[in-house]
Amino acid sequence: MPVDVVVNRPGSIRLAFLLVLIFFLLLLFSACTGPEVVRPQGSVFFPPVPNPPRVQYLTRISSSTDVDGKKLGGLSIIAVGDSRAEKPKPIIKPYGITVRDGKLYVCDTSPGRLIVIDPARKTFEFLKGNYSFGKLKKPINSALDSEGNLYVADTMRKEVLVYGPSGSFLRAFGKGLEMKPVDVAIDGDYLYVLDLKNHDIKILDRKSGKLLETIGNDSDNKHLLSMPISLDTDPKGSIYVSNMTSGKIINLDRDGHLLGEFGKLGDGFGQFGRPKGLTVDDQGRIYVVDAAHQNVQIFNKDGRLLMFFGDPGLPFGSLNLPAGIAVTSEGIDLFKEYIDPAFQVEQLIFVTSQFGPAKISVYGLGELKN
Amino acid sequence: MKNHKIIFHFARLISFFVIVISPLFFTQSILAACLTSSCHQQLKTFAQLHEPLVEGECQACHERVVEEHPLKKGSSFKLVADGAALCLECHDAFDPASGKLHDAVAEGECLACHNPHGSNGDGLLQAGGDLKVICFECHDGTPFAQEFVHGPAAAGVCLECHDPHQSNNEALLLHDSKSLCLRCHADLATGLEDATVIHAPLNDEACNSCHEVHASPFAHLLKGDGPKFCFSCHKELADKYNKAGTKHTALYKDGRCGNCHAPHFSSYAALLPERESDVCLRCHGKDDFHRSKALKNIRTELTEKEHLHGPLNDGDCSACHDPHGSDFYRLLVNDYPESFYAPYRKGTYAFCLSCHEENLLRFPETSIYTLFRDGKRNLHYTHVADPRKGRSCRACHQAHASNGPKLVNEDGAPFGNWKIPLRLVLTETGGSCSPGCHRRMSYDRKNPVIKK
Repeated sequence: MPVDVVVNRPGSIRLAFLLVLIFFLLLLFSACTGPEVVRPQGSVFFPPVPNPPRVQYLTRISSSTDVDGKKLGGLSIIAVGDSRAEKPKPIIKPYGITVRDGKLYVCDTSPGRLIVIDPARKTFEFLKGNYSFGKLKKPINSALDSEGNLYVADTMRKEVLVYGPSGSFLRAFGKGLEMKPVDVAIDGDYLYVLDLKNHDIKILDRKSGKLLETIGNDSDNKHLLSMPISLDTDPKGSIYVSNMTSGKIINLDRDGHLLGEFGKLGDGFGQFGRPKGLTVDDQGRIYVVDAAHQNVQIFNKDGRLLMFFGDPGLPFGSLNLPAGIAVTSEGIDLFKEYIDPAFQVEQLIFVTSQFGPAKISVYGLGELKN
Repeated sequence: MKNHKIIFHFARLISFFVIVISPLFFTQSILAACLTSSCHQQLKTFAQLHEPLVEGECQACHERVVEEHPLKKGSSFKLVADGAALCLECHDAFDPASGKLHDAVAEGECLACHNPHGSNGDGLLQAGGDLKVICFECHDGTPFAQEFVHGPAAAGVCLECHDPHQSNNEALLLHDSKSLCLRCHADLATGLEDATVIHAPLNDEACNSCHEVHASPFAHLLKGDGPKFCFSCHKELADKYNKAGTKHTALYKDGRCGNCHAPHFSSYAALLPERESDVCLRCHGKDDFHRSKALKNIRTELTEKEHLHGPLNDGDCSACHDPHGSDFYRLLVNDYPESFYAPYRKGTYAFCLSCHEENLLRFPETSIYTLFRDGKRNLHYTHVADPRKGRSCRACHQAHASNGPKLVNEDGAPFGNWKIPLRLVLTETGGSCSPGCHRRMSYDRKNPVIKK
């Protein structure tokens, strides 16, 4: 027996050495694979306990890696030698976000580009027509019409640029209107352009770009809108506008009649520090992003505050200078791996943050399963 | 040899007599001895006799203790066992584990109900026919003295529902409450099988959650009086019933709640016995010659009309009218003016605008909320929101049905003794009308007739 021990010892040392080597190699490779998507430990819900959870933080999207799963691997650098081919495409400074048929259209302001993210196909692409006459300078918000045309408000070009369903540039509206378009929305054949400079909404024919009417700041409704920054329409077609200097959410109809308003500047519940992106879901709930409070407040159609989420201070699920928001009831299954088994999601909420690691935070609105 | 045969046959005859005939003769002779003309004669009067008595086995229960009988003082016989133990000599005992025992059974008081010798009814009971005589010996008969008495209780056939000895059911019932009731009320059993809507107590509880089982001062053996009893569960209706400014007459006469609702089951929502509008038209669908302020015959308003008001298409009268009471005109569910002239103010037309576009009457100009406009000039606003003489919807529209589009009143709106004709003509982008109110006037949404 002692003989056996003497004979086996060198083998054990070799095995241990091999294991240590493999460990360090793995450590080395893992260091070269780029940033890991960190998953929250346990589910993050809003509002906090003891309230029943209504919103769950699901995940974040900050680069193409988070969508297509392709990572910049150390081995691939060595093997291929072309780092740019595999380099993740980051989102730099997102602002407006639009969702249609599960696809996300994200305005990335600093690099002047629009990113089309399709979680179903796991694609992360830049808008094809973003060059020459269709070159975006500072895209801030976008909207889609029923034919799939994309309308992008560009604050630097002071125009609304129109791209076809394939992404090719079609035309630009706004020359001569002396406006600073900050948001767009579509209602049938009408294109609503929110003009920050003139504090009004310009109603254009979406096909010709012809100015049909201006509402929100006419002689009857002077200063109704005050540095308006975002707008959306509800299922009945009325328009909601967030206003930065008044802190009010103004509800207008297409004729410019004031239907209602809520909110004011302040730091109380239902008040705003710097309201930014606004969207209305198919149930008529109004979601308002606040860049000062760094959260999203949800209101019912009567302007009653339902809840808020995304406030700073959490390891996951906090927003960082948030700007745009989009809500959809489509494509929920694409995020089901992140949804807590006890939670049932009815709406997906996408919120952009201009800074921080989570450029697009994905939340689910819903309730606990029975 | 022949003598032997005769002796043998004689011996067989004697044996037969001794073995078979003599015991009969002997017992009958004992029975005859007990039932002499001067003793125990009353036992002969029973229609049914206890089996040992039939057999002449008096000694099965009675044991002679002294020779002399009858004794002037004391008894020559005693029972072979005391109380129930005597009965259990022949009858099976009741196992307490098999169900709740009748108190008399538990205490071995068989004779509380039974006569040990005989009876003129079944089961050797102390009384035949109306068993209440026996039962009320122990049970209080006061609750039975009500105006309305359950048939079996009135007839004293307590054993139709109760097991007198032992049962697993409440109150020694033969079956659980619902099954027991449905044994006789077979029409309910059949109806429940086909029903889509069943009154909750019938599903979740027992029949006796609404009905008394023996007697009640209220019809149908109900536990309470009409609507007040219904409100013990349907609490939300009590306030309406008591305080509504406009009351529905049907709730306050005859069957009251039962005028409209089936109490047990139905194939229609809210336990209505038929389609809601058909229930309403039972009263509101015929000419009323009985009262000074007659009910309108709504059926004539609906018959052969091309367009019905939306809810009526579904037979849904309660979408507009609250049958349990309302503080608004004609039992409407919200505010609607009673008068022909009623200028629009916020809330005045809350009833109509709870379904129709809420902004219809808010703005003098609109391109959204109505097709009745000249360019953007809102002609609904012009007609209704005129602060001096705004007209109510009835000036142009029928409430229930019309042959005209948008329920426009083709027959003309009642205006005192006159019906104002409307004479509406529609075009693709507008129309015109020449009512009794003004000359023919036109409107056009695309090319306004009245230029700004």
